[in-house]
Amino acid sequence: MAEGLLTGRRLAPVLLEKPCCTDGADDAPTQAGAARVVLVGNPNVGKSTLFNALTGARQHVGNWPGKTVSVARGTWRRPGEADVGVVDLPGTYSLVPDSPDEELTRELLVDAAPGERPDLVVVALDASNLTRNLYLTAQLADTGIPTVVALTMVDVARSRGLDLDTGALADALGVPVVPVVPRSGQGIDELAVVVGRALSAPTPVTPAALGSDLEDAVSAVSAALVAAGPDDPAARWRALALLEGGGDGPDEAVAVARRRAADLLADEAGGDEAGADEARADEAGADEAGADEDAADEVELRVAEARYAWAHDVLGEVVTRRGSRTTWSDRVDRVLTSRWFGLPIFLAVMWGVFEATTTVAAPLQDAVQGLFDGPVSDGFGWVLGVVSAPEWLSGLVQDGLVSGVGQLLSFAPLMAIMFVLLAVLEDSGYMARAAFVVDRLMRVIGLPGKAFLPIIVGFGCNVPALAGTRILRNPRQRLLLGLLIPFVSCSARLTVYVLLAGIFFGDQAGTMVFLMYVLSIVLVVGMGWVLRRVAFRDLADDPLLLELPPYRRPTLRVMGVQTWQKLRAFLRTASGIIVATVTAVWLLSSIPMPGAAAAPSEPASFGHVAPAESVFGGVSRAVAPVFAPAGFDDWHASAALVTGFVAKEAVVATTAQTYSAEEPSDVHQAGALGTALHATFERTSGGHTVAAVLAFMIFLLAYTPCMTTVAAQRAEIGTRATLAGIAMQLLVAWVLAVAVFQVGVLLT
Amino acid sequence: MSVLRRVEADRARRRRLAELGFVPGATIEVLGRGGVGGLVLAVNADTRVAVDAAGARELRVQEATRG
Repeated sequence: MAEGLLTGRRLAPVLLEKPCCTDGADDAPTQAGAARVVLVGNPNVGKSTLFNALTGARQHVGNWPGKTVSVARGTWRRPGEADVGVVDLPGTYSLVPDSPDEELTRELLVDAAPGERPDLVVVALDASNLTRNLYLTAQLADTGIPTVVALTMVDVARSRGLDLDTGALADALGVPVVPVVPRSGQGIDELAVVVGRALSAPTPVTPAALGSDLEDAVSAVSAALVAAGPDDPAARWRALALLEGGGDGPDEAVAVARRRAADLLADEAGGDEAGADEARADEAGADEAGADEDAADEVELRVAEARYAWAHDVLGEVVTRRGSRTTWSDRVDRVLTSRWFGLPIFLAVMWGVFEATTTVAAPLQDAVQGLFDGPVSDGFGWVLGVVSAPEWLSGLVQDGLVSGVGQLLSFAPLMAIMFVLLAVLEDSGYMARAAFVVDRLMRVIGLPGKAFLPIIVGFGCNVPALAGTRILRNPRQRLLLGLLIPFVSCSARLTVYVLLAGIFFGDQAGTMVFLMYVLSIVLVVGMGWVLRRVAFRDLADDPLLLELPPYRRPTLRVMGVQTWQKLRAFLRTASGIIVATVTAVWLLSSIPMPGAAAAPSEPASFGHVAPAESVFGGVSRAVAPVFAPAGFDDWHASAALVTGFVAKEAVVATTAQTYSAEEPSDVHQAGALGTALHATFERTSGGHTVAAVLAFMIFLLAYTPCMTTVAAQRAEIGTRATLAGIAMQLLVAWVLAVAVFQVGVLLT
Repeated sequence: MSVLRRVEADRARRRRLAELGFVPGATIEVLGRGGVGGLVLAVNADTRVAVDAAGARELRVQEATRG
């Protein structure tokens, strides 16, 4: 853990004052001086739904400054009372950080300077799963931050035969407890009143009693801390952290903690087998540091045990259990996670996701694209005509900007579908089951089972697949998956395979296309293997451990708000790259090379230039020799690849243009274009046509899919990783193409 | 139904398990079996957790009387 590197002491002041965020928007201004409330809770307890019920549309989502952690912030308008700024922290099982998500929570609640701490924590407690939820509450209590409990899932608990005494829970915890049903807004008004009261008379949760041995040790260390420094509301937390061997503090306190931890270990050992172990360790000459570590280790385990013991005690006072423990959710799981039905059902669901992101999305995408290519472009043309704008301006606006914006927006329906699907799968609880079912399979590339979904979607389109990498909570895994997705052969690449395979491989065309898909999978697995050994050695191969939340109906409103926000963030990030690239390519193909002629009789001018004579043609010609070792040193081929960087859908059209041939209406009947391509590849490959075409197809498979993918990648994994990814794609593509061609030349 | 006695894992992993309720004394019930040795467990009655074969091996349990 990068402790000390990112301690909250430096970050926290910025964090709570100002709504920040990467998407740049600031639609939820909370006036300065407003109370700051932080929402904390386990994953899957309805915390996001609660957040939405509190803030409505007055919220926005974005990365915490300097972090990859996405956080929602908003303003809570309470009837008749002052607004409150609310931060919805990522769901967490504990305040001991193991991931950046949890680190952020810890920084905010424990490490923040006194003036920067949140005024109040609202902890969402799942009534149907109280023991585990109380474990987090016990940790919160030690931070000394004033708390109000929002009790969720009371209905689920009741349906499972659990009766809860809210009053008894409030007594046990020493803080107000408000049952809420965020979905219907029930209890929200009462929560507002209780929060208002708690803000004026703040009380922290009564600390969980850990038993006399541990409590003695905690008191001793706390006393040493208090003696050494200023009053700290989180003194109990720090004392426990020191006993567990974590955190830093004044030397005296650290010394007291070490001694007390060793004492605790000795008490525990008491001559039993652990004592014998220790004796052996002593004989082996284990150094003092090792013994300290063992003691700290042991203390941590005992603290965890003691917190659970406390949680069980509270549960005993609060909950009455009647009837069977098996829920309908368990019965559904017997089928969905079973050895025989688990995988087939999973594959059926994935098929559905794939269909939704391809077959269902395609007509919507075409409609948007059509709207921009037709009416919108014509409209601009008409306006520009009326003001008699120069021809170059009309070209720039119509063929550059409008078509670029059109292409960007054509992805909007697809992305919306993807975000809704993700939300449905995640919120319903199925995603966790799917992750369990395919976990073994995905381990091959060092990623958890959930990574399967984005990869499947990638075969349709890489852009929503990249958005789908968000289902992984670990940012390192997300980065690895984000770098692998472009190697998944999307449907746009298929059109080019089909054209080339049809021209060059005749009857074998189908086999060749299939081979490209096999190769794509080999690339994903192979690159996953390589990257894990080169750049991702830190990704531990821990055994699977996954909570299966109860199945639930997703909340439409939350889904709507979240989809809209993600979509907006995508469009904002992607728009720059896409419009710039489309405009640049348009410019390049409109500017004639010096000395070029449009026709033998007239010199070429801006906008009147054959592809071969434009700067675009010039650039392609300059790039072409790079591909000599791969057997396709020809400007037609490199021009196709340059266009392919913008969008693979455009490759066939560009190829036709560069040969001044008709774009074949049916790619199976390539006609004149086929003849021209044949001639080109035969010439450049020195007669090894098949090898050169294969090399070209493989390059096309492996290099950067399109600029929208680049934009989406940038949105998910950042600019630097995206650039590194592009370099990797080009390198892998080139090396593979050269290898295939050279081997092909040797064999034929 | 079984009772967890020990967790055989390193500290970070043990902490992860503890967060979900796997501490000595916790009750564990196997609710279902998936492919390749995976298990669906009920921990402390209310939490449902999936583990794979390797994860299951980390949990040392003692058979408790049914009831």
